[in-house]
Amino acid sequence: MEYPFWDIPLVGGGMLIGIIAILHVFVSHFAIGAGLFLVLTERKARREGDTALLDYLKRHSTFFILVVLVFGAVSGVGIWWAIGLVHPTATSALIHIFVWAWAIEWVFFVIELLAAFIYYYGWNRLDARTHETIGWIYFAGAWLSLFMINGILTFMLSTGKWPETRSIVDAFFNPTMLPSLVVRTAVTIALAGLYALITASAEADESLREKVVKYASKWVLVGMTIIPIGGIWYISRIPDQAREISMGGAPVVTLFAAASIIFSAFVFLATLLGPFLFPRRFHVTFAFVIVALGLITTGVTEWVREAVRKPYIIYNYMYSNAIRAEDTQKVWEQGVLGSAKWALLTEQDKRNPLAMGEKVFRFSCQSCHTVNGFNGIKFAVKGWEKDFLDMQIQKLDQLKGYMPPFLGNEEERKALVEWLYSLNNPPQQTAARP
Amino acid sequence: MPVVVPPPDPAGLPAPAWLLQILLVFTFILHVLAMNLLLGGSVVLALSTWRAKHSEFCAKLSQRLSRALPVAMSLTITLGIAPLLFVQVLYGQAFYTASVLMAWFWLSVILLVLLAYYGLYLVQFRPEWLGAKAGVVAWISALFILAVGLLFTHNATLSISPAKWAEMYAASASGLHLNWSEPTLIPRYLHFVVAAFAVTGLGLMLLAAGYRKTDAEWSAEATRYGLRWFVGATVLQFAVGLWFLVKLPQGVMMNFLGMNMVDTVVLWAGVVLAVLALLVAQRSAIGATVLVALTITLMAVTRHRVRQMLLGEHLNVNTLPVNPQWAMFVIFAVLLVIGLAVVGWMVWQFFKASQPQQSTTA
Repeated sequence: MEYPFWDIPLVGGGMLIGIIAILHVFVSHFAIGAGLFLVLTERKARREGDTALLDYLKRHSTFFILVVLVFGAVSGVGIWWAIGLVHPTATSALIHIFVWAWAIEWVFFVIELLAAFIYYYGWNRLDARTHETIGWIYFAGAWLSLFMINGILTFMLSTGKWPETRSIVDAFFNPTMLPSLVVRTAVTIALAGLYALITASAEADESLREKVVKYASKWVLVGMTIIPIGGIWYISRIPDQAREISMGGAPVVTLFAAASIIFSAFVFLATLLGPFLFPRRFHVTFAFVIVALGLITTGVTEWVREAVRKPYIIYNYMYSNAIRAEDTQKVWEQGVLGSAKWALLTEQDKRNPLAMGEKVFRFSCQSCHTVNGFNGIKFAVKGWEKDFLDMQIQKLDQLKGYMPPFLGNEEERKALVEWLYSLNNPPQQTAARP
Repeated sequence: MPVVVPPPDPAGLPAPAWLLQILLVFTFILHVLAMNLLLGGSVVLALSTWRAKHSEFCAKLSQRLSRALPVAMSLTITLGIAPLLFVQVLYGQAFYTASVLMAWFWLSVILLVLLAYYGLYLVQFRPEWLGAKAGVVAWISALFILAVGLLFTHNATLSISPAKWAEMYAASASGLHLNWSEPTLIPRYLHFVVAAFAVTGLGLMLLAAGYRKTDAEWSAEATRYGLRWFVGATVLQFAVGLWFLVKLPQGVMMNFLGMNMVDTVVLWAGVVLAVLALLVAQRSAIGATVLVALTITLMAVTRHRVRQMLLGEHLNVNTLPVNPQWAMFVIFAVLLVIGLAVVGWMVWQFFKASQPQQSTTA
């Protein structure tokens, strides 16, 4: 609310962040697990004197740097770019609360990236022991950067004691930090196996292919077994209201939560019945099918995690529309347009309820709703009369638990009603009717 | 139209403003050094790949440069994260606002970087497969990187022009604005691009030095080639820099022409060091590199001063609330030292292993 709002028609900002974030999550978790996969498999290959396996790892690590160093790093910055554009107030809050946590994460990220380069370019250059050490440093740097970002990310859903204490320790070591870390670490292991299935299934040597496919499938199964255990722990620690939303409180969210479980089961079963039991017959197409299932699982799960946070963007601190909970009283008094300087409210607007209503919509509602597209408000209020609209807006948080209360004065509420009504009943049209 | 500036974040600064400003400027310098090698290097890669068929020198240059550029890209991104963090801490009110105004263009930076990065890897890994198209791919990467630089200049200049924001936003909230009306836009952009070519020239001389024993003839030619880039760009820079200076608002410009002694000395000392670098470059690439690094440091300080002057009281970081987190800062500082030691150890292991006498015993 304190910043200009970027108007993205049809798609909305949330979707934009979601697309970038889901792809990033799918690659960045692989980045971490693959570090462990590479270094443990390298050790195994050297112990067994298996040069074929070692050669496979070299090829796999080319794939690894092209996916991780390029797409992983750039898309990670991409999320930062997108949240700063779509939610500048919340991004600013996360930056200011966690500056040194971000800075520490950056240190781990620098180590991670340089280690990845040196590991990759060092295959034929470094002796075995140094090379493995660099691999371990890579994995440590990558996992520690997950450790840092996980603390910040979980804070958004479970702020714990922070709203009272305002202590960085309470913010970082929040109620869901540890269970989420367990889940995400398990995801990294599963994804390491999943990506290895792609490169392994493309190997020409049949006995090597069979060996690596079987081996990689075990990584998937181990990861996928730990995820639900951590998941139950995680769900037990999220705020009560968030749990209710995911278990019936909001049908769409519940549907997605169920999809998350179903698709996870698909990944597990497909891996068990495919590459694990029949590694010899495993084909690259099947590998891509499992990877696609994994991407869908990641997508719906991250979507649910975002959805249950409503009506907040930072729990108990900032609503989805960037109004701080502690400013509620102030916004009621000054009005949302009086508080949002970027509404650039003119005298002309004040005389025109439709113009005013549109500005109220922009700064109160548009961070979640588009007009005609995703979560479109025009469709949502179709057939609603003005009285009904007014009543809905007045009791927004009580009628829809995942929405914040309407924060604004009476004049603004009336203007919003007029504007919402006009979406499905254009003024000239109503005037023309008898 | 009134000047609208978002209010400061209520969480306050996590350390005194002076410390955060030092971190901002210092990490910015590191980012700029890597960026210079990437930007200039990608153009030289495009030129040499384009001519690789006709000249053995260019073929070798293209091949040798193509191995270094993805690393330069990675360093540019990684070292860019820290100044982007500190600029959001100190100047978020300006940075987010300017970014939202040019949102689609700003977001396109991510796509351009991604494509340019894959282009560089394609040239490195699959030159035979690309054949004659390698030059085209290298040019596309170079142009994308040049475009990203221009978008950064748009953002940086818009960030320090608070008077323009409200009018732009009132005209459209779609995030399709750019800052073409800014008189310093082009000279500022060229100032960075020309500097990048100069630094890349030095980088080429250092690259050439690495081949002195194994490929003496190529090394000598690459040294001369790098020197030409460095001297040509630096001489051109005197004109571009002057152009940039006179396009600054007069009140700001005068500070660097004697009105403020400290600002004047910092800027012109940077110029003098660049002249010295020109004089020693032929004899010592390393000496010139050190001098140019000092010039860049002073210029980064000057750039920061221009930002302070133009934002003025609209956003004075010294008046922001401070809520220090010293324990966290100490943890960061300790981890940074450990991290640099680990990085140093890894790089040392890598280069140690490259020496022939070492690799024969290994």
